[in-house]
Order: sequence, then structure tokens, then C-alpha cells
Amino acid sequence: MNLCGYYPESINEGEGLRAAIFVSGCRHYCKGCFSPATWNFNYGEPFTPEREQEIIYDIVNNPLLSGVTILGGDPFFSSPEVSEFIDHLRMEAGPISVWIYSGYKYEELIENTDSDEFHLLRRCQVLVDGKFVEELRDPSLLYRGSSNQRIIDVQHSLSERTITLWEPTYTF
Amino acid sequence: MALLNRVYSSQEQMLDEVIHLGEEIVESSNLEVLRENANLNGESFSGKMSKFGSEYAKWYANNFVMPEQLVQAIKDNVVYVHDLDQYAIGTTNCIFIPFAKLLREGFNTGNGSVRPPTSIMTAMALVAIIFQSQQNAQYGGVSANKLDYDLAPYVAKSFNKYFRKGLGYFEEGDIESEYGEVSMGRSDLAELYPKSFTYALKETEAETLQASESLIHNLNTMSSRAGGQIPFTSINYGTDISPEGQLVISSLLTATMRGLGSGETPIFPIQIFKCKQGINQNPEEPNYHLFLKAAECSAKRLYPNFANLDAPLNMTYYDPTNPDTEFATMGCRTRVVADRFGRNHLSGKGNLSFNTINLVKLGLEHGIVLGKRQEADERGFYKELKHYMDIAMEGLLHRFKIQSVQKAKASDFMMREGVWEGGEHLGPEDAVGDLIKHGSLSIGFIGLAECMKAMYGKHHGEDEAVYNKAYELISYMRTYCDTQCERHNLNITLFATPAEGLSGKFTKRDRVTYGTVPGVVDREYYTNSFHIPVYFSLSAAQKIKLEARFHDLCNAGAISYIELNGNARSNPAAFLQIIKYALSENVSYFSINHPIDRCSACGFEGIIGATCPSCNSHENDVHIRRLRRVTGYLTGDYQTRFNGAKQAEVRDRVKHL
Repeated sequence: MNLCGYYPESINEGEGLRAAIFVSGCRHYCKGCFSPATWNFNYGEPFTPEREQEIIYDIVNNPLLSGVTILGGDPFFSSPEVSEFIDHLRMEAGPISVWIYSGYKYEELIENTDSDEFHLLRRCQVLVDGKFVEELRDPSLLYRGSSNQRIIDVQHSLSERTITLWEPTYTF
Repeated sequence: MALLNRVYSSQEQMLDEVIHLGEEIVESSNLEVLRENANLNGESFSGKMSKFGSEYAKWYANNFVMPEQLVQAIKDNVVYVHDLDQYAIGTTNCIFIPFAKLLREGFNTGNGSVRPPTSIMTAMALVAIIFQSQQNAQYGGVSANKLDYDLAPYVAKSFNKYFRKGLGYFEEGDIESEYGEVSMGRSDLAELYPKSFTYALKETEAETLQASESLIHNLNTMSSRAGGQIPFTSINYGTDISPEGQLVISSLLTATMRGLGSGETPIFPIQIFKCKQGINQNPEEPNYHLFLKAAECSAKRLYPNFANLDAPLNMTYYDPTNPDTEFATMGCRTRVVADRFGRNHLSGKGNLSFNTINLVKLGLEHGIVLGKRQEADERGFYKELKHYMDIAMEGLLHRFKIQSVQKAKASDFMMREGVWEGGEHLGPEDAVGDLIKHGSLSIGFIGLAECMKAMYGKHHGEDEAVYNKAYELISYMRTYCDTQCERHNLNITLFATPAEGLSGKFTKRDRVTYGTVPGVVDREYYTNSFHIPVYFSLSAAQKIKLEARFHDLCNAGAISYIELNGNARSNPAAFLQIIKYALSENVSYFSINHPIDRCSACGFEGIIGATCPSCNSHENDVHIRRLRRVTGYLTGDYQTRFNGAKQAEVRDRVKHL
């Protein structure tokens, strides 16, 4: 697995201050994608155990973080590796909140509960789902690019077996 | 008058210099001179007129007034005398205005007397007039240290009026009867006269909001400061828990969020929200909702900044029964609390003047960076630092003498009306010395980061050992100031200088002397006070932690900033978290910088690259107004109003997030 980006702190990829980790590789090929270079699975830097340790170290030592956000590419094309990373992270950081972005829809990710994709999903707190649709682009949307995309409270949706949208803790 | 500093070989040479001063202004040929102050349009008629006065006043002070050693230290590029144009005539710097007193007793502007207001609308109008009248008695900022407390009584007066009016309209009671002190918190009145009470509340809320809107408009439109500037106003609020005080705070915030005429961000007044545990920091506390609203306003409009009443430095004189002892600040960061003559409260005094030390030059002379030595010469460094601090100190005392012999009538409104505490008891011809001693004299510093880099090869954000050296250095400077307090029996404090005009001046001249020195003299500016350089990348939490300890040392004031890269408006959780963290680390005064761009085509506000994300207009076709902060003050559009050094500093700012 390769990383195509890493911000130790960001306010643009989810509520609160979050570490943002971008995983290379995507096969959704959305028209108008803001970073088509990241479709390539070999783009960026290899996610070595050393790199993983560095990132985990940053996260554990940053008292201001609310959690991490994993984006891409699309991290669900590297589900087993990403799941493993989340497990490693939680070993060190405790029950830290994970937001994840995908071009897949929630319904597609829960179709097969034995799949790697489902196992990754159930590790996360919030999913921002759906392809980017250029015609539906709206810069005023919170944490999303186009209006078809949803911000889903994963744990609540799984336990209630119905999609629950995420609600912000604070609103201005 | 005798020429103190004999540098001229002939009268002609002197005359040439004076003529040149005028030429540069008339021809607008020196933009650095004209843009020295980001809030003054030096290319306008009134701006040029004021420049004529100030450039000659500086020249005069240099040649005929200042001690020779000080002039030499300025030439050496180690000491900077702020507001040099005011030196010879003895003007003082800034003040916290006792609004409560002026409003309660009424005042005289010199051309006419003003009665005490009987409504919040009038009271807020008078606040603008008081700011304006006071502004020209000094050269620096004018601040309200507790505007919520100051104005609450006039909200009550308005409420009382509406309540009695309501009693008549709704036939609930007799207008003239005695109801005790009518106020918004009187639940007994609410029960007995529900219609009148509700009516009075609604009307009072509407009036207070309208009054707040006009106050903010007034403070952005009166170009009454010399040279066509808007007065440098700051207002502090946040801790008054009376319903009237809360309404003042809430209305000011709403008005600020609404913005000026076409919704643009107000540049004045600088607003400071006073944070205090037990009052507005936790959900169960009475003013917590106002703290949240302040954060929302700050995410939209860059103000308010946040003052930390719980920082140890600010607790020393805190008396919960006297709001005048609550820490507040000039927007630029100037802090004046302690007074060795007993006035340990804020209003009625201010800073008198300050001189700044260029730490970088001393670092270059004694450090390893120029390759002259393997190890930093700390002894040499401290010896020279002491030498220049002595000169800076002598300069302050010399200036204080000039200030002290000024007659009360020279600062006019300030003394006559007792804006400076006790001034009202002086006759117009009396000297002000015995009163202004309650103010502070400060020694400031700039470029701690580049100084460390020059001394040791790394700055204090890069290396723990260097951080300790940096902390030791600033502690030394503080101890020096404390010692001078005793020696001269005056309030002498250490200042993390706001470096607006200064940030490029030292650098420019050091570059001529030393050429480009990587990591030290390779930019157009030196880093502000003890800040970790804006171009150095580290986490927000680290920056806060590293800078926090310096706040406690700088008793004349300091500020820390975090740079946000992204739309702060859409992530309240992050915004609040950062503020709360900075407060918990004992940062005394804090703010978050984030870009606010405004598209003049569609009015979109947020982050705009080359094209507006809302209407797709390109910056080449439509004006994108880019609002940034400098020295604590906002400035309309940094590309036209900032000097070169400050523009460069804005370009280099690494976003911590």
C-alpha cells in the first residue's frame, strides 16, 4: 500500500482536528476528480512499518487531535491493509475516532459482511460515501464535494440496520 | 537649540536631508515610509500631511533631543525607538478608558459638554465619541477593558423606559409608581406585569443590537485620527453575568458577525473576549453560551481574540468583586495591570512608551553562524545585551522626563476629563508627571528565533537545548526590567513587541551589514517577539506549548497565534478545541489566524484561490479582497496596505493545520 498524502493536522476532513491519511489507488475514476494522479496504486510513498510508526507516534503525541481521517484514492481498495493500520493505531492510541471516505456507497459496503470492505467499515465511526459527481458539485457542503455524498454515522447505522446521518457536535 | 549629535559636516548637508524628507513624501517615492502603518493611507493628502509632520519630528528628535548614546544605538541597528515622532513633544502611548465613570458623570469634549446617557443607544454613541476624543490625546491604542460592565446600566435604563411605557400601553400598572430598581433580571416584575415585561425585553434587545451595529459602524468610519486614520480601538468583554451585560456581549457579537454595510468584516474595534473559569468556560457556567458565540464570531470575522483571565500572570491582582482588576488588553497585546504606586487595576492608565531590542543583530555578532567561532560567545552576548538594554532604559527615562513636564492641557481631554485617573484634579498648567508614573515603560524585543539560529545554529522550535537557552534569555530580560523597577521606582515591563513597522526595518539594515545569512537574514523580516517562525512547520499543540511559557515572562504583553489552513467556519469543534487548549496551557492572549477572502463579484466569503469557488470569477477579472491580520490589527487588503516585509511574512506563514 502507498500513501499519497499525510497531514498531521487538518480541519478540512471531518469534525475537530484530525490527522488526514491519503491512501493511493482508486478505480472509481470520477469525472472532475480533484486528484486523478492518486488513482494509481503506485503513486506516492510506500506505507512501510517505519512510516506507520511515525504516523502513529504523531497521532498519539498530539493532544489536540479528535481522531484520524482516511481518504484516498479510495481506502476501500486497500481494505485489509487499512484495517490492519487502524488496529495498530488503536493498540497505541486507544479507542480513537476514525472517519473514512469512499467512492462506494454504504449499501455496497455492507452487502457482504464477510468482505474485507465490510470489516474495514465496521472499524470506523463515520463514512463519507459516494462518487464525486461533477454536476452536483457544491463548495458550500461540509466535508464533501458533491451533494449526492452523505456523511453517515457508521456504528449507529449498523446497529439500527438503517442509515443514520452523522450530526455535528457543534454548529455555528 | 544646540545640535546634540554632530554628524553633519555642513549646514547645507543638513538642509539637503530635510529637503529630501519632503521630496519623498510629495513624490510618494518611498513606499516603505508611506506604508509604515498598515492602517494609514500614506498616499492620500491627509496621510502625506501627517507624514510631513512625523518625518520632520523624527529628524528633530534624532538631531536635537535624544541622548547621544541612544541615537548611536539606533544607528547600530540594535535599539528601535517606537513612535519617535512623538518623542520630542512628550505624548504618551495608550490607555484603558474608564467608560463607566465618563458615562456616569458626563464629559466635555472641549467644544461642548455631554450629559450622562439615559439609554443604551445614546451610551453606545457616546462610547464612539469618547474613543474619538481620547484618540488624539495620545498616539497609541484606546481600549475598553470591560465594556459589558460599563454599558449594562444603560441597558437597564432603556429597559426601565420600555417597561413603564408598556405598563401604560397594556394598562398593567401605573407608569409613575415606585417599582424599585427595574432591571431585566426582576422575575417578580415579569410575573406581575407579563405583557409590559416581555414588551420591554423585546424593545431593549432590538435597541441594544441597533446600538451595537451603529457603534461598530462608527468605529470603522470616523477618520478622526491624525492623517485620516481610524482610531485604534479595542473592546474587551465576556465576564458580566447580569442579563444586561450579557445582552451587550451578545449584541456586539451579532453585530460583528453581520458585518458592515455590505457584509464585510469590520476592521475595528479589535474585540477581545475575556475567558474565565467559573464564568464562561464550561457548559454549566452562566456565560458559556457567549463564549461559544465568541468562537463562532471569531471563526467568521477573525475577532474576538481571547484573553485568559486564569493565566497565573493575570490572576495576581484579580479581585472577583472588581471587574476593573480583570485582565484585559489593548488589541495590539499591550498589557498594563500592576502598578507599584497602588493602582492595580486597568482603567485610567496605560503604557507610556517602549523601545525594542534587535536580538538578531546581537546573535549575529556573538553566535556561530558567521563562521567566526565554533561555540557561541554567550558572555559577550549578554555583556552587549546589557549594554544596549541600559541604553534603551536610559532612553525610556529620558523620554519619561519629557512626558512628565508636559502640562495637563497638552493632553487635553485625557487629563481634563480624568480619562487618565486623577487628571481631573490637575489645573491646565500643571505638569502630569505625578500621574503618569502609574503607567508603564517597556522594553521590547524582536527576533528571538533568528537570534537563536545565529547563536547556536537552530531556533527554539527545533531543539530543546536551544529552547532552554531562549527561555533563559527572555527570563534575563525580564529580571533586568524588574531590577530597573526598583532602581528607578517606576513600572518597567518586558514586552513581546508587536512588530508592524519594525519587522522589516532591522532586517533591511542587517542585510546591508551581513549580507544574506541562511536561516537568519534570508527573509524580509524578523520573527515577531518569541514566536516560533511562521515558516517553520510544527503542530498547533506544539506551537502553543512552546510559546506559552514566554507569556508569563512578558508582563507588558504578548500574543500567540495559530494559523489555520482551511475554512474555520465549517469546523467549530476544531476551533473551540484549539482555543481551549491554548487557555489550558496558560497562554495569556490568543487568537487564531485564518484566511478570509471576499469575492467582490458574488460576495462569497471564505477561502478563495485564483478563482472564486462560488461564482468562478478569476482574480484577474474581479477584485478578491484578502483580509489578514498584522500586529494584532486587521487591515483591509494586505496586498495594498502592508509594507514589503509584512507581505512577505504573510506569504511565508505555514499553516499549522
